[in-house]
Amino acid sequence: MRQILSLLTFALIIIGLPAPSPAQTPDNLVQIRLLAEKSQINANEDIWIGIEQTITPEWHTYWVNPGDSGTATTANWRLPEGFAIGDIQWPIPEKLPYGPLLNYGYENTVTLLQKLTVPAEIPEGAFTLTADIELLVCKEECIPEYGTYTLTLNAPETTTEDNSTLFADALSKLPSKSEAHTAAFYEQNGNFILEANGFEAINADTIEFLPIDWGIISNSAEQSVRVENNMLTITQARGERSLDTLEIINGLIAFTEQNGTRRALHISATAKPAPITEQPVETTEAAQATNGITIPQALLFALLGGMILNLMPCVFPVLSIKALSLVKIAAENKEAAPHKAKIHGLAYTAGVILSFLAIAAILLILKSAGAGIGWGFQLQNPIVVGSLALLLFAIGLNLSGYFEFGKSISVGNTLTQKQGPSGSFFTGVLATAVATPCTAPFMAGAIGFALTQTAAVNLLVFAALGLGLALPYLALSFTPSLQKIMPKPGAWMDVFKQLLAFPMFLSAVWLTWVLTKQAGATGLLQLLLAASALTFGLWLFKFKRIFAKTLAFIMFATTIGLVSIQSQMPASDTPQAEMTHNTYSPKALQTTLSGDAPVFVEMTADWCITCKVNAAIGINIPATRKAFTDNNVTYLIGDWTNEDPIITQYLENYERNGVPLYVYYGPRDANGTRPQGQVLPQILTPVTLPNLFK
Amino acid sequence: MIKQLATLGALAILALPSLANATPEVGAMAPDFEATDIAGNAFKLSDHKGDIVILEWTNHECPFVVKHYSTGNMQATQKDTRAKSNEKQGVKWVSIVSSAPGKQGHVTPQEAQKIVNEAGAEVDVKILDETGTIGKLYDAKTTPHMYIIDAKGTLVYAGAIDSNSSPNPATIEGSENYVLAAVNELIAGNTVTTAQTKPYGCSVKY
Repeated sequence: MRQILSLLTFALIIIGLPAPSPAQTPDNLVQIRLLAEKSQINANEDIWIGIEQTITPEWHTYWVNPGDSGTATTANWRLPEGFAIGDIQWPIPEKLPYGPLLNYGYENTVTLLQKLTVPAEIPEGAFTLTADIELLVCKEECIPEYGTYTLTLNAPETTTEDNSTLFADALSKLPSKSEAHTAAFYEQNGNFILEANGFEAINADTIEFLPIDWGIISNSAEQSVRVENNMLTITQARGERSLDTLEIINGLIAFTEQNGTRRALHISATAKPAPITEQPVETTEAAQATNGITIPQALLFALLGGMILNLMPCVFPVLSIKALSLVKIAAENKEAAPHKAKIHGLAYTAGVILSFLAIAAILLILKSAGAGIGWGFQLQNPIVVGSLALLLFAIGLNLSGYFEFGKSISVGNTLTQKQGPSGSFFTGVLATAVATPCTAPFMAGAIGFALTQTAAVNLLVFAALGLGLALPYLALSFTPSLQKIMPKPGAWMDVFKQLLAFPMFLSAVWLTWVLTKQAGATGLLQLLLAASALTFGLWLFKFKRIFAKTLAFIMFATTIGLVSIQSQMPASDTPQAEMTHNTYSPKALQTTLSGDAPVFVEMTADWCITCKVNAAIGINIPATRKAFTDNNVTYLIGDWTNEDPIITQYLENYERNGVPLYVYYGPRDANGTRPQGQVLPQILTPVTLPNLFK
Repeated sequence: MIKQLATLGALAILALPSLANATPEVGAMAPDFEATDIAGNAFKLSDHKGDIVILEWTNHECPFVVKHYSTGNMQATQKDTRAKSNEKQGVKWVSIVSSAPGKQGHVTPQEAQKIVNEAGAEVDVKILDETGTIGKLYDAKTTPHMYIIDAKGTLVYAGAIDSNSSPNPATIEGSENYVLAAVNELIAGNTVTTAQTKPYGCSVKY
C-alpha cells in the first residue's frame, strides 16, 4: 500500500512538475519550483533562473519592500565553482491592504527571476544548483516557510523542455528601467511629493507609485495623481521617515496600458527643496486653510495695510503734496474743480494699483522660476535699495527747493498740474515705489496668504493693497465736502513742503544704512559718490548753457553707473548691543526644542523698519532681558536682510512672506509636552514679551 | 467666492483627522497615553518622566515574535535593558498587544499573564490594547515593533528590534540588536546613533 502511495506521489511529481524540482511537503502554502530558461546550457552563456511560487488563494508573499509588515522572499544559492547569480528581479507587485495597513506583494502565482552567470568552464555532464529559500506567506496570519530546492542542468536524459513562454511572461512583468524620465521629490505640509516628467501619454487614473525604499510614504494613505504638461505629480502623506534626510529615493511608477497590460517604470528621484508657491493640490490646500485666513479676510487686511502705508514717513510727504494740489485745483477753477479732482483721483488710483500689480507679477514670475523669495524681496537687492535711497534724497532736495523742474514748478506741482491726469498716474507709481520699504504690519499676513494661492488670488490681494494705498486720496478727490475742510492755499504751503523734505531725507538715511549692511563700506562709498554726482548734476542743470546741461547728463549717467555696480557682500555678523542670541537654523531650532527651555525666534531684516522698532521697544529692553534670563529663554535670530531660503521656508511654515515674525515656543509642560509655537503680534509693546512669562 | 470659501472650510475640516493621524516623529515628544495593565494597575506614560521607557508591540502567535521568544532573545533584551536601571534613571519595559477581539494574538489578561510567565518575559507593564488606540497613536505596524522614549519623554528610537528581518530563529545570531544599542547609548548619556529602522514582522492585527 505504502509503495503504491509513494509510486503515485512520484507519478504526480513527474506529471505536475516537469522541471527538475524536488518534492515538497504538501501542506506548504506556497509551492515552489525552480525553472531554467534553458535546461541545456553552454559555457559563457548567461541564462535566467526563475523561482516560481504558486500561492494558496487568498494568501500572499512579499515584494522587496513588503510595505507596513512582512518580509521579502530570500534565496541563498549554492552553485558550482565559477557560477554566480544576480539579485532577484522583482515583478511589479500589487497593493494589498489590511485594516489600516498596506502591503506590497503577490497573490496566486509569481516568478522571481535571477540571472545566472555561467563561467567559461562548466562541469561535464549534469550539475545541480541548490537554493535555500525562505519566505513569509500571510493571509491575516503569517507563516514562514523554508525549503531547499534544486535545479539540475544539462541532465542527459531530460528531453529539452521549452520554458520560453514562461520566461517571456515573467520578464514582461518586470518593471523597466528608464533613463528618459527624470524625477524629484520633496516634503511639503507632511506630504511626500514626487514629480516626474515624460508621462503625458499615460492614463492618470491607472497610475500608482510603489516605493522601493521604506517609510517614505504612509502606504495606506490616499495617493493623489496629477498629470499636467508632461509632468506627473504624486502626492501622498509621508511615512515615518523624515524626507529631508534622504537624497535619492527609488520606486516604481506602475500604470495600465490601453490593452490592459500592467507596466511599471523604475525611477530614482532626487531630493529637491519644496517650492514656495504651492499649486492648489487638494491635500496641501487642506493644510493651508487651517491658518484661518480666508480670501475676503486677506483682501480686507491688504486694504487696511495699504491705507496704513499712507502714514509711513516715506509716503506721507508725497501724499500730502497730492492733497495740497487738490486745494489748488479747487481754488483756481471753482466750476470744473469737482470733475477735475475726480479724474486726478482715478488716475492716481490707477497708477498705484498698476504698480502693485507689476510688483506682484514680477514676484510671481521669480517664484515660478524657483527663487526662494517673499515680500520685501526688492529690498534684498542693493541696487534697488541704492536707487530708492537716491530717489528719496532727490525728492527731499526738490521739496526743500534745491532744484525745480522747468519753470519753477516743484515735483508735487509737476506731477499734478503740469501734466494733468498722467501726472497723477505717475504720482501713484512714485507712491508705490517709495512705499515698498515700509511694509505695514497688516500686509504680511495678507501677502503671505496671497503667495500660497493661485496667481489670480495673488493679483487680487496686491490690487487690494494698492486700492488701500490710493483710497484716502481717492476719497478726498471724490468728496468736495472733505476738500472744503482743507486749509486755503497760501505761502504756508511752501514752508510745509520744505518741512516735508526731512522725512524724505530720514528715509534716505535709513536706506543708506540698509545698503551699508548689504554692500559694506565700498557700497556706501559708491552710494555717497552717486548722491554727490546726482546733486552736482541737478545743480549744473539749472544753467542754460549746453555745456552745463551736457555735464549734468554725464553726472546723471555717473549716478546710475555708481548705483548699478552695487553688489551684495556676504552676510556678516555685525556686533551690536543686542541680547545674547544664536543664529537661527532649522537644526539649531530643533536642538533647542529638544531641550526643556522656552525658545523665542525672531525673524528680522535690516531693511524692515517694523522689525527695528520692535527690537528697540519690545526686545532689547531691560524687562524683556530680565524675563528671558529668569526663564532661561533661548533666543534665536534669523536675518533675512539678504535672501535666505532657509528663513523663507520658516516664514512659509507660518504662512508669512515677510518679516517681522516672532514665534514663542513655551517650556515643556508638566507632562513634558512641548506646546505649539505661538505666533506673536507683529507690533511688539514693552510688555508683549515679559507678559509671556506671567 | 462663496464656492471657494466653502471649499476652504471643507478642507479645513478634512485636515483635522489627518492631523490626528500623524506619525510620531523620532526626535519629538512621544505621544502620551493612559491604560490599565493586565494586573489592573493604571499606567500613564508621562508619569514615567525620568525613566527610559521601551514599548514592545507583540502578538505571541506571530512567527517573528516567536522567533525572538523561542530563542530567548527578547527575554535577554528585556533583562539586559532593565538591568541598566540606576538611581538616575530607570528602564521600564512596556509590552503592548493591539490585536482586536477575534484576531490573532488577542488574549485575556489571564492568558497574557500566562504567556509572560511561560516565556519568562521580564516586562514591567503588559497592556491589552484591543481597540488599537495606542497602536494607532504610535502608528505601530508590526509585531515586534519597538519604540524607546528617553527620560525627557522624547521618542528616540522607532523600528525593528534587530537588523535581520528574517523569520528564521537561526538569524538572530550575528544580527545587531538596535534596542540594546540604543539603551546603552542613552545610559552613557549619548544620543542614539541608529534612531530609526524599518520595522519588520507580522502586521498588527487591528
